[in-house]
Amino acid sequence: MPLSAIKTVAKSQNGVGSFILPCKSISFHYCNWWGSSRGMNSFIKASLPTFARNNPQIEISVSPRPRRHPVLIAHYINGTTRSICVKNLLNEGVREKAEILRNSTGEKNRKTGKPVVSVNESVRGIWDPFHGAKVQI
Amino acid sequence: MKRIVASRCASQLLAPPLPRHALCPFAAAKNAQRNITPRSHRIQARYQSTAAIRDDAGPGAEVPDYAASHLPEASKRRKINYAPEQLPSPHPRAAASSAKLHALRARLSLPERFPLQTLARTLVHPSADPNPYFNNASLSILGRHLLGYYTSEYLICTYPRLPMEVLFAAVEAYIGPKALALVAKEWGIEAAKEPGGEIEPGLLQFKRIPTGEGLPGSLRRQVPWNWNVTTTHKITKTDEFGSANAPPSAHALQQTPVPSEEAAQSFVRALMGALHVHLGSPLVKRFFRDHFLGRHLDVSTLFDFRTPTRDLSRVCAREGFESPVARLISETGRLSRHPVFVVGVYSGKDKLGEGAGSSLDEARTRAAAAALKAWYLYRPIEVTVPSSTEGELDTSKWRPNLIDCGEVIV
Repeated sequence: MPLSAIKTVAKSQNGVGSFILPCKSISFHYCNWWGSSRGMNSFIKASLPTFARNNPQIEISVSPRPRRHPVLIAHYINGTTRSICVKNLLNEGVREKAEILRNSTGEKNRKTGKPVVSVNESVRGIWDPFHGAKVQI
Repeated sequence: MKRIVASRCASQLLAPPLPRHALCPFAAAKNAQRNITPRSHRIQARYQSTAAIRDDAGPGAEVPDYAASHLPEASKRRKINYAPEQLPSPHPRAAASSAKLHALRARLSLPERFPLQTLARTLVHPSADPNPYFNNASLSILGRHLLGYYTSEYLICTYPRLPMEVLFAAVEAYIGPKALALVAKEWGIEAAKEPGGEIEPGLLQFKRIPTGEGLPGSLRRQVPWNWNVTTTHKITKTDEFGSANAPPSAHALQQTPVPSEEAAQSFVRALMGALHVHLGSPLVKRFFRDHFLGRHLDVSTLFDFRTPTRDLSRVCAREGFESPVARLISETGRLSRHPVFVVGVYSGKDKLGEGAGSSLDEARTRAAAAALKAWYLYRPIEVTVPSSTEGELDTSKWRPNLIDCGEVIV
């Protein structure tokens, strides 16, 4: 066989063609007795319907977590989970934390080293001493 | 690779015509449409692609018995009340209240008119529910053909000189089993531990292979039917990836434990089929372009040459070019530990390719491979795929595609 092929899988580039929001679901845990949940409870009553309407691609669940601090737990496409404790935060603060979770990719926070990350190979080719400026030998 | 008549496929996968008053729950929820008799083929198809259940049932689920549904008269159909736990897969009525399905539909940017009942049906693999009215077998057959058609026409028209083996590998990279399982994972599909009628309909349902057991016999790789499997046989007889054997039919996997990859690929295929039935081919083509062609695949990395220099001289002889000659363009450090030679392959005065290597022979081979890739990866400037003229009256935008005489035979 003079020519054979190598089997690979096409890589996803989220945002090229289609965009899938990495945040899959957010669950809101509250407590009815503890004062640290006051802001969370007012968020669930007042702002959660709007938040859910604006983000239909996120599955939202609300569940009690008695005698604990309120917490937001988000699940992501890549299988990771992020949770933020929202004790003593007000309505607006809880909304900000929920938006942080929505906008996150689920990857660990890390420093971006190089300014450009590309899947395409360099167009410059191999380094050659005779390219570029004229070399007099 | 294979041409299909999509409308015929669509009519085959649908349930048999049901009495007019028994519309699907999705239609029943919209009271305004209640009295409309579906006239067009598309509306009729929509009611049939989700197995229709009357919505005025009692507290228990009411499904037509599968054996009785084959009887010609609808009145003979036996109605049995089942608890959700007794059903093999979730009842279609449960789909409308599933948060996961609503989220999935919004995540894939599907329009509201795509019913959740059908979306739920695409998540039921035949291994979970053997009833073909409630599993995704027929939809996945349609979707598999659509995916194969759109992918292969895109690749053949964009790279008309692609060798057959590379074309098979490229199709597999876009819509092969591994690629589809990856797509399902990136769409946020989760699998249920065990299929059943009482579980959330937004989960992928299939019968898992028990721990410690191998693949079932129907999915295991079989010996080829013939010692000499030709490329023609691969094109016409087996699947779209050029395998030596045809894969088992989707209907043949009833009650067979399957790996999660098989279930995930059947979901993606069934979703394509369901979109074709409900939304029509223009939307499916857009969906395919966005979700599949948007993925990154460098076709030039798929080539694996054995004797590129010999292939290149055959190509030049066939096309009437002068026979290729390798010439050294530049070199550095010939006597050092890391020499670099840059070699070009010339046909007369035309440079066909250039390659760099740490020995003269390596550089010459790389240059020949680069020249062959430049030949095989030719792309026409304007490309129109055949499916772009489907149902269009104005054909002035159509550009005939280049048909190449094929790869060089050595």
